[in-house]
Amino acid sequence: MKNRLKVLRAERDWSQADLADRLEVSRQTINALETGKYDPSLPLAFKIARLFGQPIESIFQDEA
Amino acid sequence: MIFASKSPKSRLNRRGIQALIGAVVAAPLGYLFGRYLVALEKAGAVSVAGLGWSDVLALLLAAMMAVVGLVTILVSLSRRTLGRQINPEETRPATPSQVVFYAQNGLVLLLAGVMMAIPVLTPVLFSPLSPMIASAAMTGLIALFLVQTAGNIAIWAQSDELMRRAMAEIAGVSFAILQGLLFLWAAGEKLELLPSLRLWDAASVMMAAYLVIGMVITWRRGLAG
Repeated sequence: MKNRLKVLRAERDWSQADLADRLEVSRQTINALETGKYDPSLPLAFKIARLFGQPIESIFQDEA
Repeated sequence: MIFASKSPKSRLNRRGIQALIGAVVAAPLGYLFGRYLVALEKAGAVSVAGLGWSDVLALLLAAMMAVVGLVTILVSLSRRTLGRQINPEETRPATPSQVVFYAQNGLVLLLAGVMMAIPVLTPVLFSPLSPMIASAAMTGLIALFLVQTAGNIAIWAQSDELMRRAMAEIAGVSFAILQGLLFLWAAGEKLELLPSLRLWDAASVMMAAYLVIGMVITWRRGLAG
Protein backbone atom coordinates (compact mmCIF):
# COMPACT_ATOMS: atom_id res chain seq x y z
CA MET A 1 0.00 0.00 0.00
CA LYS A 2 1.30 3.46 -0.95
CA ASN A 3 0.84 6.49 1.27
CA ARG A 4 1.47 10.26 1.29
CA LEU A 5 2.71 10.37 4.85
CA LYS A 6 6.17 11.71 4.00
CA VAL A 7 4.72 14.51 1.84
CA LEU A 8 2.12 15.50 4.43
CA ARG A 9 4.78 15.48 7.13
CA ALA A 10 7.20 17.57 5.07
CA GLU A 11 4.44 20.11 4.30
CA ARG A 12 4.15 20.73 8.05
CA ASP A 13 7.93 20.70 8.56
CA TRP A 14 7.62 17.85 11.05
CA SER A 15 10.39 15.34 11.62
CA GLN A 16 9.60 11.62 11.91
CA ALA A 17 9.97 11.96 15.69
CA ASP A 18 7.48 14.88 15.77
CA LEU A 19 4.89 12.83 13.90
CA ALA A 20 5.63 9.79 16.08
CA ASP A 21 4.98 11.89 19.21
CA ARG A 22 1.66 13.14 17.82
CA LEU A 23 0.53 9.62 16.92
CA GLU A 24 1.96 8.04 20.10
CA VAL A 25 4.04 5.49 18.19
CA SER A 26 7.80 5.03 17.79
CA ARG A 27 9.86 6.85 15.16
CA GLN A 28 10.66 3.45 13.68
CA THR A 29 6.95 2.94 13.03
CA ILE A 30 6.77 6.22 11.08
CA ASN A 31 9.88 5.22 9.12
CA ALA A 32 8.39 1.79 8.36
CA LEU A 33 5.10 3.38 7.22
CA GLU A 34 6.83 5.91 4.96
CA THR A 35 9.07 3.29 3.36
CA GLY A 36 6.13 0.94 2.75
CA LYS A 37 7.52 -1.77 5.03
CA TYR A 38 4.44 -1.70 7.25
CA ASP A 39 0.74 -1.00 6.71
CA PRO A 40 -0.97 0.58 9.73
CA SER A 41 -3.88 -0.92 11.64
CA LEU A 42 -7.29 0.67 11.04
CA PRO A 43 -7.21 2.56 14.38
CA LEU A 44 -3.79 4.04 13.51
CA ALA A 45 -4.91 4.88 9.95
CA PHE A 46 -7.93 6.74 11.37
CA LYS A 47 -5.69 8.55 13.84
CA ILE A 48 -3.38 9.63 10.98
CA ALA A 49 -6.38 10.80 8.93
CA ARG A 50 -7.71 12.83 11.88
CA LEU A 51 -4.30 14.38 12.53
CA PHE A 52 -3.91 15.57 8.93
CA GLY A 53 -7.62 16.41 8.56
CA GLN A 54 -8.01 14.28 5.44
CA PRO A 55 -9.98 11.14 4.54
CA ILE A 56 -8.06 7.87 4.84
CA GLU A 57 -8.28 7.16 1.10
CA SER A 58 -6.53 10.43 0.26
CA ILE A 59 -3.56 9.41 2.42
CA PHE A 60 -3.41 5.66 1.72
CA GLN A 61 -3.82 4.21 -1.78
CA ASP A 62 -4.21 0.52 -2.56
CA GLU A 63 -1.62 -0.51 -5.16
CA ALA A 64 -3.81 -3.28 -6.59
CA MET B 1 14.24 21.92 15.60
CA ILE B 2 16.81 20.12 13.51
CA PHE B 3 15.42 18.50 10.41
CA ALA B 4 18.59 17.64 8.53
CA SER B 5 17.79 14.27 7.04
CA LYS B 6 20.72 11.89 6.88
CA SER B 7 20.88 9.75 3.77
CA PRO B 8 20.51 5.95 4.03
CA LYS B 9 24.13 5.72 2.82
CA SER B 10 25.47 7.82 5.70
CA ARG B 11 23.41 5.77 8.19
CA LEU B 12 24.80 2.60 6.63
CA ASN B 13 28.33 4.00 6.89
CA ARG B 14 27.77 4.86 10.56
CA ARG B 15 26.46 1.37 11.32
CA GLY B 16 29.38 -0.14 9.36
CA ILE B 17 31.87 1.85 11.45
CA GLN B 18 30.08 0.78 14.66
CA ALA B 19 30.22 -2.88 13.53
CA LEU B 20 33.92 -2.54 12.67
CA ILE B 21 34.72 -1.00 16.08
CA GLY B 22 32.70 -3.80 17.72
CA ALA B 23 34.63 -6.46 15.81
CA VAL B 24 38.01 -4.86 16.58
CA VAL B 25 37.18 -4.73 20.30
CA ALA B 26 35.42 -8.12 20.50
CA ALA B 27 38.01 -10.23 18.64
CA PRO B 28 40.96 -9.64 21.03
CA LEU B 29 38.61 -9.88 24.04
CA GLY B 30 37.33 -13.25 22.82
CA TYR B 31 40.87 -14.46 22.19
CA LEU B 32 42.02 -13.35 25.65
CA PHE B 33 38.99 -14.99 27.28
CA GLY B 34 39.78 -18.23 25.45
CA ARG B 35 43.39 -18.08 26.64
CA TYR B 36 42.17 -17.39 30.17
CA LEU B 37 39.88 -20.45 30.04
CA VAL B 38 42.75 -22.64 28.81
CA ALA B 39 44.95 -21.35 31.64
CA LEU B 40 42.19 -22.04 34.18
CA GLU B 41 41.74 -25.58 32.90
CA LYS B 42 45.49 -26.24 33.05
CA ALA B 43 45.42 -25.05 36.66
CA GLY B 44 42.52 -27.45 37.35
CA ALA B 45 40.11 -24.64 38.25
CA VAL B 46 37.59 -25.47 35.51
CA SER B 47 36.75 -28.44 33.32
CA VAL B 48 35.83 -27.66 29.71
CA ALA B 49 36.58 -31.13 28.34
CA GLY B 50 32.93 -32.21 28.40
CA LEU B 51 31.61 -29.24 26.43
CA GLY B 52 29.79 -30.19 23.24
CA TRP B 53 28.92 -28.13 20.15
CA SER B 54 25.59 -27.05 21.64
CA ASP B 55 27.35 -25.82 24.80
CA VAL B 56 29.73 -23.70 22.71
CA LEU B 57 26.77 -22.40 20.67
CA ALA B 58 24.85 -21.60 23.87
CA LEU B 59 27.84 -19.73 25.33
CA LEU B 60 28.27 -17.75 22.12
CA LEU B 61 24.58 -16.79 22.14
CA ALA B 62 24.73 -16.02 25.86
CA ALA B 63 27.73 -13.73 25.36
CA MET B 64 26.05 -11.95 22.44
CA MET B 65 22.80 -11.39 24.35
CA ALA B 66 24.56 -10.32 27.54
CA VAL B 67 26.83 -7.84 25.74
CA VAL B 68 24.00 -6.33 23.67
CA GLY B 69 21.83 -6.17 26.80
CA LEU B 70 24.57 -4.48 28.81
CA VAL B 71 25.30 -1.96 26.04
CA THR B 72 21.56 -1.18 25.79
CA ILE B 73 21.34 -0.62 29.55
CA LEU B 74 24.46 1.60 29.50
CA VAL B 75 23.12 3.63 26.55
CA SER B 76 19.78 4.09 28.34
CA LEU B 77 21.60 5.65 31.32
CA SER B 78 22.21 8.77 29.20
CA ARG B 79 19.02 10.36 27.82
CA ARG B 80 21.06 12.29 25.24
CA THR B 81 22.92 9.21 23.93
CA LEU B 82 19.73 7.16 23.85
CA GLY B 83 17.94 10.00 22.05
CA ARG B 84 20.62 9.97 19.34
CA GLN B 85 20.17 6.19 18.90
CA ILE B 86 16.36 6.44 18.67
CA ASN B 87 16.24 9.56 16.49
CA PRO B 88 19.50 9.82 14.52
CA GLU B 89 18.12 12.85 12.63
CA GLU B 90 17.59 14.94 15.75
CA THR B 91 19.35 16.05 18.91
CA ARG B 92 16.45 15.80 21.37
CA PRO B 93 17.06 13.62 24.45
CA ALA B 94 15.04 10.47 25.01
CA THR B 95 11.86 10.77 27.07
CA PRO B 96 11.68 9.11 30.53
CA SER B 97 9.30 6.44 29.16
CA GLN B 98 11.76 5.67 26.33
CA VAL B 99 14.56 5.35 28.91
CA VAL B 100 12.50 2.84 30.92
CA PHE B 101 11.51 0.92 27.78
CA TYR B 102 15.09 0.55 26.49
CA ALA B 103 16.46 -0.24 29.95
CA GLN B 104 13.85 -3.00 30.28
CA ASN B 105 14.79 -4.35 26.83
CA GLY B 106 18.44 -4.39 27.85
CA LEU B 107 17.67 -6.11 31.16
CA VAL B 108 15.53 -8.80 29.50
CA LEU B 109 18.30 -9.48 26.97
CA LEU B 110 20.96 -9.57 29.69
CA LEU B 111 18.87 -12.01 31.74
CA ALA B 112 18.36 -14.20 28.66
CA GLY B 113 22.15 -14.32 28.22
CA VAL B 114 22.72 -15.23 31.88
CA MET B 115 20.00 -17.91 31.72
CA MET B 116 21.57 -19.41 28.59
CA ALA B 117 25.01 -19.53 30.23
CA ILE B 118 24.07 -20.97 33.65
CA PRO B 119 23.39 -24.60 32.54
CA VAL B 120 26.73 -24.67 30.67
CA LEU B 121 28.95 -22.80 33.11
CA THR B 122 27.69 -24.39 36.35
CA PRO B 123 29.17 -27.88 35.58
CA VAL B 124 32.34 -26.20 34.24
CA LEU B 125 32.92 -24.09 37.35
CA PHE B 126 31.75 -26.68 39.92
CA SER B 127 33.21 -29.92 38.65
CA PRO B 128 32.22 -32.52 39.84
CA LEU B 129 28.72 -31.09 40.07
CA SER B 130 26.96 -31.89 43.35
CA PRO B 131 23.14 -32.24 43.49
CA MET B 132 23.02 -29.28 45.90
CA ILE B 133 24.83 -26.93 43.48
CA ALA B 134 22.71 -28.22 40.58
CA SER B 135 19.51 -27.58 42.58
CA ALA B 136 20.68 -24.09 43.53
CA ALA B 137 21.46 -23.32 39.86
CA MET B 138 18.05 -24.64 38.79
CA THR B 139 16.27 -22.59 41.47
CA GLY B 140 18.13 -19.48 40.32
CA LEU B 141 17.22 -20.26 36.72
CA ILE B 142 13.52 -20.56 37.54
CA ALA B 143 13.62 -17.25 39.45
CA LEU B 144 15.37 -15.52 36.53
CA PHE B 145 12.87 -17.08 34.11
CA LEU B 146 9.95 -15.61 36.08
CA VAL B 147 11.59 -12.15 36.22
CA GLN B 148 12.40 -12.32 32.51
CA THR B 149 8.85 -13.37 31.63
CA ALA B 150 7.46 -10.43 33.64
CA GLY B 151 9.91 -8.17 31.75
CA ASN B 152 8.77 -9.54 28.39
CA ILE B 153 5.12 -8.94 29.30
CA ALA B 154 5.96 -5.37 30.38
CA ILE B 155 7.77 -4.76 27.06
CA TRP B 156 4.78 -6.11 25.12
CA ALA B 157 2.42 -3.84 27.08
CA GLN B 158 4.55 -0.73 26.34
CA SER B 159 5.24 -1.51 22.68
CA ASP B 160 3.46 0.17 19.80
CA GLU B 161 1.67 -1.77 17.08
CA LEU B 162 4.69 -2.21 14.76
CA MET B 163 6.78 -3.71 17.55
CA ARG B 164 3.93 -6.01 18.59
CA ARG B 165 3.41 -7.08 14.98
CA ALA B 166 7.14 -7.85 14.66
CA MET B 167 7.12 -9.86 17.92
CA ALA B 168 4.06 -11.83 16.80
CA GLU B 169 5.65 -12.52 13.38
CA ILE B 170 8.91 -13.67 14.96
CA ALA B 171 7.00 -16.04 17.24
CA GLY B 172 4.86 -17.36 14.38
CA VAL B 173 7.70 -17.88 11.89
CA SER B 174 9.92 -19.43 14.56
CA PHE B 175 7.18 -21.86 15.58
CA ALA B 176 6.42 -22.87 11.98
CA ILE B 177 10.07 -23.47 11.02
CA LEU B 178 11.30 -25.01 14.27
CA GLN B 179 8.38 -27.36 14.90
CA GLY B 180 8.75 -28.57 11.29
CA LEU B 181 12.47 -29.18 11.71
CA LEU B 182 11.91 -30.82 15.10
CA PHE B 183 9.35 -33.18 13.58
CA LEU B 184 11.64 -34.09 10.67
CA TRP B 185 14.59 -34.69 13.02
CA ALA B 186 12.43 -36.78 15.38
CA ALA B 187 11.19 -38.84 12.42
CA GLY B 188 14.76 -39.34 11.17
CA GLU B 189 15.82 -40.38 14.66
CA LYS B 190 12.88 -42.79 14.96
CA LEU B 191 13.84 -44.34 11.63
CA GLU B 192 17.43 -44.61 12.90
CA LEU B 193 18.70 -42.41 10.11
CA LEU B 194 19.80 -39.47 12.31
CA PRO B 195 21.74 -39.36 15.58
CA SER B 196 19.89 -38.70 18.85
CA LEU B 197 19.55 -35.09 19.85
CA ARG B 198 19.71 -33.98 23.49
CA LEU B 199 17.12 -31.45 24.66
CA TRP B 200 19.94 -28.98 25.29
CA ASP B 201 21.10 -29.34 21.65
CA ALA B 202 17.56 -28.57 20.49
CA ALA B 203 17.20 -25.62 22.92
CA SER B 204 20.49 -24.06 21.72
CA VAL B 205 19.58 -24.45 18.04
CA MET B 206 16.08 -23.08 18.70
CA MET B 207 17.49 -19.99 20.44
CA ALA B 208 19.99 -19.40 17.60
CA ALA B 209 17.26 -19.78 14.97
CA TYR B 210 14.91 -17.52 16.97
CA LEU B 211 17.55 -14.77 17.12
CA VAL B 212 18.33 -15.03 13.38
CA ILE B 213 14.60 -15.00 12.49
CA GLY B 214 14.15 -12.03 14.85
CA MET B 215 16.94 -10.06 13.17
CA VAL B 216 15.60 -10.76 9.66
CA ILE B 217 12.02 -9.77 10.56
CA THR B 218 12.97 -6.60 12.46
CA TRP B 219 15.15 -5.57 9.50
CA ARG B 220 12.41 -6.34 6.95
CA ARG B 221 9.83 -4.44 9.01
CA GLY B 222 12.06 -1.37 9.15
CA LEU B 223 12.70 -1.54 12.89
CA ALA B 224 16.44 -1.31 12.24
CA GLY B 225 16.07 1.98 10.36
